[in-house]
Parts: sequence; C-alpha cells; structure tokens
Amino acid sequence: MRIAWRGVEFRLLLPILLLVPLGFVVTHIALSGTVEAGPLEIAIGYVAILVAAHLLLVAAGHRGDQLLLPAVGAMGAVGMIMLNRLPQELAGTSALGIELGMAATQLLWFAIGIAAMLAIAIGVRDDGVLRHYKYSWAAIGIGLLAATLLIGYEVNGARLWIDLGPVSVQPGEFLKIVLVVFIAAYLAETRTLLTSARMRIGFLSVPPLPYFLPMLALFAVVMLIVVRLNDLGTALLFFGTFLTMLFVATGRRSYVLIGLILFLGGSFVAYQLFGHVQARIDVWLDPFADPLGAGFQPVRAIYALGRGGVFGEGLGQGLITLGGSLTIPFVHTDFIFTAVAEELGLLGAFALLGFAAVVVFRGLRIAALARDDFSGLLAVGLTASLGLQALIIIAGNTKLVPLTGITLPFVSYGGSSILASFIMVGLLLSISHRSATGADERES
Amino acid sequence: MTGDILRLLMLVLQLGFVALLYLALMRFAGSLLKDLRNAERAQLASRSGIGSLSVIDSPGDEPPAGSTISLGPINSIGRNVNNTIYVEDDFVSTNHAMLTFRGHSWFVEDQGSTNGTYINGHRIDRPVALSFGDELTIGRVRMRLDR
Repeated sequence: MRIAWRGVEFRLLLPILLLVPLGFVVTHIALSGTVEAGPLEIAIGYVAILVAAHLLLVAAGHRGDQLLLPAVGAMGAVGMIMLNRLPQELAGTSALGIELGMAATQLLWFAIGIAAMLAIAIGVRDDGVLRHYKYSWAAIGIGLLAATLLIGYEVNGARLWIDLGPVSVQPGEFLKIVLVVFIAAYLAETRTLLTSARMRIGFLSVPPLPYFLPMLALFAVVMLIVVRLNDLGTALLFFGTFLTMLFVATGRRSYVLIGLILFLGGSFVAYQLFGHVQARIDVWLDPFADPLGAGFQPVRAIYALGRGGVFGEGLGQGLITLGGSLTIPFVHTDFIFTAVAEELGLLGAFALLGFAAVVVFRGLRIAALARDDFSGLLAVGLTASLGLQALIIIAGNTKLVPLTGITLPFVSYGGSSILASFIMVGLLLSISHRSATGADERES
Repeated sequence: MTGDILRLLMLVLQLGFVALLYLALMRFAGSLLKDLRNAERAQLASRSGIGSLSVIDSPGDEPPAGSTISLGPINSIGRNVNNTIYVEDDFVSTNHAMLTFRGHSWFVEDQGSTNGTYINGHRIDRPVALSFGDELTIGRVRMRLDR
C-alpha cells in the first residue's frame, strides 16, 4: 500500500484547526469577562482527532475524496464551539466513574465516529457484503425498529431510545443507513426492469408491481412503525431519501409525482388521525397562539434568530439562559442551528449551510463517478439522507416547515447521530476510493 | 477603561472568527472550482465511451486477467477469432454470446452456446439487461461490466 499525500485535504483542514481553539477562547472571554484563554483540552482534543484522521488516511494510501473530511470537520467545529459554550449539565455521561460534561461527551463520540469512519473508508474494499446480503440488512433494520417498539422508552412523546447500560442509542439513526443500503442494492438489481417495463394508469406510468412490491412492502412497514413511534422527522427523511434514490435510478418523473401525491395524502390522513401531528401543524401555523405553552419553543427560537440578525450577538454573548433556565428548550440538539444563528448571525448560519452544501456536492460527485450502479445509488442515498436531514431541521428551526425533532448532522449533540453520520461519510469515502483506484487500473 | 479594551478585543476576536470561517469556506469554493475545471478537461480528453469489461478470471490468458476491454455498441464474444471479443478457453463456444448497448442499457444474449452464459452466477435463457457492476461468466472467463 503506497502513501497518498492528501494535499487538498491538509490545506482545507488548516483554517478549521485554528477555528476551534479561537472559538473556545472567544467564548471563554465573553462568558467570564476576563482576558484569559480558559480550558482548551476539548478544543485540542478535537484538533488532534481531525489531524489523526488525516494522517491515517495518508498512511493507508487512501485515494478517496479530500473535501469531505474537512467539510464535516468544519460543521463539527461549529457544533463543538456551541456545545462547549452551552451549560454543560444539559447532557453528559458518567460511565466507569468518570463524569463527562456535554462537550466532553460529544468529543468522545466524535472520536468513536471518526474511528468508525476510518475503519469503513479503509477497510471496506468491495461492496459485496453490503450488496449481496440486502435482505439480511432489511431484516436487521426491521429488527432494530421492532426492538425500539418493544423495549424502547419515550422522550418528549417520541419513542426513539433503547437503553444499553451506560449509553442510550437511537436505532432510527442506524436504520437510516441500513435502509439506504437495501434500497440501493434492490434498485441496482431491478433498475432496468423498472425503467423499461411500462404500465399505465391514466396519464401516469406506474412501476411494474411485481418488481416493486418487495420494496413497497418494506417501506410501508417502516413508515407504519415510524409513525407508531411518533417520529415524524425520521419518517419525512426516509421518504425523501427513498424518492430521491428512486428518481436517480429510473429517471422517471412520474414516480416522483406519485410519491408526492402519496405524501400529501398521507400527511392529510395523519393530520386527521393523530393528535400530535395536528398539534405540530397548529403550532407551526401560529406559534403565538399559545406563546407560553405549545408555542414556547418556536416563539423563543424566532426571537433568538431576530436577536442574532445579520452579524450575530457574538460568540458567548447570546441569551442562551435566562434566570437559570434555557431560553430555548433542546437548544443543544434540535435547536443548535438557532443557537449558531443567534451568536454568529446570518453570516455564521450561511457559512454552516455552505459547509453542508459542500458535503452534498461532493457526495453527488462521488455518486456520478462511481464504477457500478450499486455504489452510485448508495452514494446518492447517503448524500440525500445527510442533506435532507440538515434541510428538514434547519427549515424547522426557521419555521419554514413544521418542526420535527431530528438532529443537524455533525453539529447537534448526540452520540447515535454523530456515529451514524460518520459511518455514512466512511461509506462515501470508500466508494470514492474504489472509483479512484479503478480509474488508474484502466489507464495503466 | 478596561471594559472598553475588553470590548474592543472581543470585537476583533469575533471578527477574526467569522473571517476565519469564511476563509475556510472560500478555500472549499476554490477546490470545488478547480476540481470542476479538471473534470471538464478530463472528459474532453477521453470521451470515455459507453462501458468496458474488466477481466477478473481468465485461465486461457486471452483476454488476460486484469485487463480492460473497451466496448462498442455491439460486441460478439466467442472462440472464433472474428469475434469482437476473442476468448481463448475450451469451455467457450465459437460464437458464444452477444453484448449490445440499446437505449440506455446493456443487454446480453446467449447465441446457443454449449456451456451457457451466466450473469452473477445465474444462467440466462433469454436476452437480459445488465447493470454496471454485474459479473458476466462465459466458459471459465469471468468479466465485470464497468462504466
């Protein structure tokens, strides 16, 4: 294995390595009112993790994409700075007798996530395991969901968590990956059948049912369970990812149209049937109807965005707590984007969106350059999932769409989310490594 | 007095932070643009064609294992040297199979060979559409369809 100098990655990482300590110093000065650097262990730890990841990729001779790691590193950097600045007792772990605050716990999850990413990026040399055992993956996915349904416990009316001793995991985050793998494998196999065979109902051409049924069945089961778990954000995310992959695989606009009609119909039925869906929509339409009850969170988020303005209140100078309690509940997970927008303003929020856009752009490029259909579709699915997740929660924060509780990838606090997102980046890196080395073989 | 200095320091540091954030973003934009230009040039240099076959296994060493065959729209495969893709293997028939690009997909059809044509380990009995990444087995020769 030859060493591959990843010069572009190194150049892009440099400003980000400076960004984290600077952000920590600025917030410490703002919060304490004294001119001193404050504790920097977590910032240094974060920098060390990114540098180690870069060096390991170089040493392994990895030829994959060089913009992904710096881009997610930048998103993570903004997240770490915000999490370090928030009250540390919001979350944390106390495992093996060691008490860790929120930022330290997040750092630990970053280390685990990056390790998983490297293992997949370097270790997965061909996609056989992913591709050939697609029904096993689907079964694992269903199993994960069933486990959540049976032994999971509720936080805020959504049953998403499984308690595993020292840590609680959110199986939905991992289900996302498993589902994308299954759909990619299935579509790669039946793509030509789905595009060539035609069945028409009126002016719409519908997919030939025999080829489509297994996927539709799986999808219905997943959607049903997700709705049972009250996890609307995840349901929306799955649906969007699925439609994107279907469109990319077949190039049929009619499939997307059918999907959107189904979605609108489903949303209407859900609004009629479920009280919590109705509550969400009502709060979205008019949060000021009940500013101290149901509308508390969105109203506070809107005020925070307003306080931020274009240039922001400045790091460490936002109104995160008021009289000892948080101004926005769940500011460290669902509303981290609002916190960034409050302290760094529209400028900072745009920068964060820019980094997310880089991730999506590179993901789609990896898909376009992939050597085979499965890898291409897998890359599309992973990218769509990451991009849509960011889009849904940011749109929810800014009251563009009804708020659904999902995390902003790489930024929000949360172990499952960080780990799952890094696994997805690892898969993308491994796909791009394979297409880069393949192109070389062909030339020689 | 110290309050003013502190406020000034904070302003400088805050601006520095946002500037650094945008410096990083600008570098990303630069890399993306450079990459797009390179891709355009590479595409112009080699109009890469519609697909290729990578030879995975070839006991007769013709075509040699590890080599890549670039494909035209119509390719005949067989032991006869007049075939587009000539295969030297005792288990391959004179005119074994046809590999054709129609519309947007590749298709393979067995030409009545003795030992059959296999896609991903399954023997075919009619023209079958291929996806990129599929494995084509003809006699003892294994090949993969790549972009």
